[in-house]
Amino acid sequence: MRIKLQKSLAPNLVSQTLIPIVAILASLFFCAIFFVLTGRDPVEVYSAMFLGALGSEYGISETFVKMIPLALCGLGIAVAFRMHLWNIGAEGQFYMGACAATWIPLSFPNLPFMLMIPTMIIMGALGGGLWGLLAGWFKTKWQVDEIISTLMMNYIGILWVDFLVYGAWRDPNGKNFPLTAAFPQSAMLPTFGSLRVHYGIFFVLLIAAVLWIIFKKSKWGYETLVIGSNPVAARYAGINIKSNVLLTMFISGALCGIAGMVEVSVVVGKLQPGISPGYGYTAIIVAWLARLHPIAIIGVAFLFAIIHVGGFMLQTMGMPSATATMLQGAMLFFVVGSEILTKYEIKFTSSKEGEKNE
Amino acid sequence: MAGIPLISMRNIVKRFPGVTANDQINLDLHSGQIHALLGENGSGKTTLMSILTGLYRPTEGFISVCGEEKKFASPRDAIDSGIGMVHQHFKLIESFTVAENIALSQSSNSFLLSQEEVVEDIEKLGEKYGMSVNPRSYVWQLSVGEKQRVEILRMLYRNSKVLILDEPTAVLTPQETKELFLNLRKMANDGCAVVFISHKLNEVLELADKITVLRAGKVAGCFDRNDTNRYGLIEMMIGRKISVAQSGTKGEALGETVLEIDDISALNDVGTLGLNGLSLKVRAGEIYGIAGVSGNGQRELAEVLAGLRPVKSGNIKFYGEEITGMSPKNMIERGISYVPEDRLGMGLVPSLNSCENVILKEYDKPKYSQGWWIKEQAAVAATKAIVEKFDVRMGSIFQPVKMMSGGNLQKLLLGREIASKPKLMIVLYPVRGLDIGAIESVHKLLLQLKEANTAIILVSEELEEIAELSDRVGVIFSGKILGEFLIKDLDMERVGSLMAGVVEDKGESV
Amino acid sequence: MCMFSKWERVLLSCLLVGSLAVAGCGSGKKDTDKGGKTKVAFVHNGSINDGGWTNAHSNGRLALLKDNKNVEASYVENVGDGADAERVITQLASQGNKVIFATSFGYMDSMVNVAKKYPDTIFMHCSGYKTASNMGNYFGRIYQARYLTGMVAGKQTQSNIIGYVAAFPIPEVVRGIDAFTLGVKAVNPKAIVKVIWSNTWYDPAKEKQAALTLIDAGADVITQHQDTVGPQLAAEERGKWSIGYNMDMSKAAPKAVLTSAIWNWGPYYEKVIKEVQAGTWKSGAYWGSMKDNVVDIAPYGPMVPEATRTLVNQAKQDIISGKLNPFAGPIKDQDGKVRVEQGQIMSDADLLKIDWFVEGVDGYISK
Repeated sequence: MRIKLQKSLAPNLVSQTLIPIVAILASLFFCAIFFVLTGRDPVEVYSAMFLGALGSEYGISETFVKMIPLALCGLGIAVAFRMHLWNIGAEGQFYMGACAATWIPLSFPNLPFMLMIPTMIIMGALGGGLWGLLAGWFKTKWQVDEIISTLMMNYIGILWVDFLVYGAWRDPNGKNFPLTAAFPQSAMLPTFGSLRVHYGIFFVLLIAAVLWIIFKKSKWGYETLVIGSNPVAARYAGINIKSNVLLTMFISGALCGIAGMVEVSVVVGKLQPGISPGYGYTAIIVAWLARLHPIAIIGVAFLFAIIHVGGFMLQTMGMPSATATMLQGAMLFFVVGSEILTKYEIKFTSSKEGEKNE
Repeated sequence: MAGIPLISMRNIVKRFPGVTANDQINLDLHSGQIHALLGENGSGKTTLMSILTGLYRPTEGFISVCGEEKKFASPRDAIDSGIGMVHQHFKLIESFTVAENIALSQSSNSFLLSQEEVVEDIEKLGEKYGMSVNPRSYVWQLSVGEKQRVEILRMLYRNSKVLILDEPTAVLTPQETKELFLNLRKMANDGCAVVFISHKLNEVLELADKITVLRAGKVAGCFDRNDTNRYGLIEMMIGRKISVAQSGTKGEALGETVLEIDDISALNDVGTLGLNGLSLKVRAGEIYGIAGVSGNGQRELAEVLAGLRPVKSGNIKFYGEEITGMSPKNMIERGISYVPEDRLGMGLVPSLNSCENVILKEYDKPKYSQGWWIKEQAAVAATKAIVEKFDVRMGSIFQPVKMMSGGNLQKLLLGREIASKPKLMIVLYPVRGLDIGAIESVHKLLLQLKEANTAIILVSEELEEIAELSDRVGVIFSGKILGEFLIKDLDMERVGSLMAGVVEDKGESV
Repeated sequence: MCMFSKWERVLLSCLLVGSLAVAGCGSGKKDTDKGGKTKVAFVHNGSINDGGWTNAHSNGRLALLKDNKNVEASYVENVGDGADAERVITQLASQGNKVIFATSFGYMDSMVNVAKKYPDTIFMHCSGYKTASNMGNYFGRIYQARYLTGMVAGKQTQSNIIGYVAAFPIPEVVRGIDAFTLGVKAVNPKAIVKVIWSNTWYDPAKEKQAALTLIDAGADVITQHQDTVGPQLAAEERGKWSIGYNMDMSKAAPKAVLTSAIWNWGPYYEKVIKEVQAGTWKSGAYWGSMKDNVVDIAPYGPMVPEATRTLVNQAKQDIISGKLNPFAGPIKDQDGKVRVEQGQIMSDADLLKIDWFVEGVDGYISK
């Protein structure tokens, strides 16, 4: 008997959803081996992790707080990736969105809530969107590879925020520490009761639903799908690739910018360095694991939030901080690795048959 | 020719999961003989040759070389037994010289090779068979025909006694083909057994001593050259009689002028002039055949008409309107349809399903969309209609089209283009890679379109196909139409020499 | 938001059931006081093995554990300044920790928020300026040690150029550069201190590169204000000298390190816990000095001459006794303007928000 991989002709929905779930369970099992080897009880570790993230009202709230920026950036990234436009710049767009949104409460602190929040959202979207658009323009104008340009622009975006908070925007009453003044109450998105989870969750749900419909039913969704799958055919079909690159980069950046706006508006309450612990990069993995499906992105972002929040819980048990990173890495490895099983099926053959020498 | 065959394949069976590619095949190859292997795509020719060259192991049956049973565990074993093959896609390293490529395949034990020795040997071999190639040239400098010679020389250099050539004439001009045939005959006379895989009947009839026809994995028949004829072979290949497509109004196109190309030039991908002062006119209801060796500006012409390639000079009129340099979208809107040779690379999106592919060029017309949204049901209905009308076979219209066979892909592509009711269609190599059944239906579709008063430009390498379908024929060479013929005046010999760039002194129709 | 909480409870119960099934009737024990021990937790933004800032705090924790058997101390490392800090501090408070130390400036506002929700927990924030009834802040006058190391560097330099790889232009860093330069100037008026900003707290490669650049610009003594030994390694590699920071860095670069300006948190942590255990703890701002043994300089390397050692040791005694204050006037800024008059001493309030360089610094603070 021999085991043979054979191209699967019709990948079915069941295997497509079941296999990633099995892969995630397998990655948990894989990490459990490490826990056992280091003398931990994996059941205790995982229950501490999940209870830390989901075992209390506070934990769940915090998990959502973490999920919101991951999901928003993941959605933004999915818009671009679907067109095979590799926007690695979510982190920079997040910072530029946060920065543009911050300009409103700093310059017009007396705006009423109903005016303040919408203008902050618009500014956040513009900040991130224009930052993405710039990379798109480089691509259409001079064929600059967007992977390089967006990656480099991350550093510029982050340093730009540093420049402002160390300089012009520094809180005059902040003893020269690199922080802007705290936002007025009118610039803060409302939270649910005394918890930290906030109305940004509605942005996630709304944007995911809209994208889902757009991807499935709209002309623009169709255009980007064709461009992403076969740019030669897209040109042949008369689809304007340049304007789609620009539009897509703008929308992709705008969603990441909104994530930045939400984060400064409610979670941080001011602009300061280090507002993102790499959301823009983690969101790439989130979008990828979710196969760019808007609804799945919410689920994967939630899972990553659990690992992240629960991961800190593990530290108080004396586990190293790398545990959460290891879990994330194992999940990525297993899910991407298992993708071969959705494309191929395993066949058991007798050794005589179907052999290829070479 | 009696005696022990050089190669004898007995009762060869090869099963792949779900398919029996070869079923009880017997094949004898004698030295001094040119043996043609004929069959439609998927009839098992390639599998059989892969077994002979050690790429696959047969499920059942055996191979004997000079009467001695052999088991090939790897392609190396087959090479050592004197079996060599020239594949359709050359297996040469572009950045190496000819001599290096040939030396690379050396199976001798010596680790170091004298470059000079190899060069000398190659020159000797080349001289002997009239296949001159400079052994010191780099492969990327060579033309397609020269590359093929390198492949053949490589086999001879290895002392191969059995030479297998897979569709060797597909890439050659008529002149080159003639030379190749002479050389192959010389090799046979020197004691080699030549296997010639083809689906071009007249070549087979011209060259072969013995013909084996495969159909659906089985041997449909094995003849001496003189015991068979063209029609017998075709019927054997497809297993039934074919009707020769005939156009009723052939050569009498009277419609108004649809397309008028005047002296256009355009760059090709390498940045040289792919089109160099090309002019032609096509009328409604006319099929204008463009004959020529591929790479002489056919693709560039089509892409200029589709708005995909910028025009350097000259102009194009469509129903009197100047359309030079318009965008692909403008061209589509005017009813110009381009059916590219590369179905999955350009004409269709492999990872999308049939419905999504059917709306590709018209997704933003009211037919398939409303405002911002795609009308999904309209797309499904249109796809079902195309599938039914053009007899496209597939698992489901919701499966990615990359799972479909070449013939069905071409029918889907043509079906989509025909359904868009084009006024002008330019179609490139429409039957390339298709089997005879599919070729027949594609030709019928083109003729139906012509009946519907569409102007058609048909680009093909197959002179037979052009002669069969066209009303007028132009020969393209180096980005220019070198000669034009009404179908009734078609002179195949002149077409052949024009294809090679030879213009005769008579001054007519150039 | 009643709609949300209803939905949330449904989700919560589903997930709880699932989690408990995994846990096999998990162990939900909430241990406020394990056998009367005081539970203490530390939150760090770096890794406890960084060889720098966080490592120094971690050593303080270990010292605390060694000397006070009635303490149980845990830590959480690599906690970002953004959304994570507030959650981690909250979780630690809810787990029954009596005292929580947070050792990054960026945690300040998060800690203020959590302190409001947990009035019975004592919060200690390092390097900030906000306090509350149950939240104190603490820091050390490392500038005193910086001044002394500046003297060592000033004596040692031959090129009269000293390189300083600085993190970010915040008062803490600027203060260190100024004190160091004043120390240099006190023994060698001709020397200058060249500053390069790395804009990093922890990037060994980049910080090393910055040090190499300074060496190429002629510096023969290198110091830094980050949490790595990158600059020390650069000096060792090029055969130059170096002044360490945070911890004694002589192990990483034995041939280069003259001495180090070091933190010594153990005694302070012990003091706080004792006060808490005795019930005498009071909120306030603590700025520990060399006298309290919170800051110090590490033992000299063998290359430091006896004369320098005597000189610097004397200055150390003078700082401890109060006779010497690094920020005593006259002090001029880079433009030559007198900022602190003769006979005056810069106030703590001014020191805490300092944003200008003293004369002798070759560098620029972006504003």
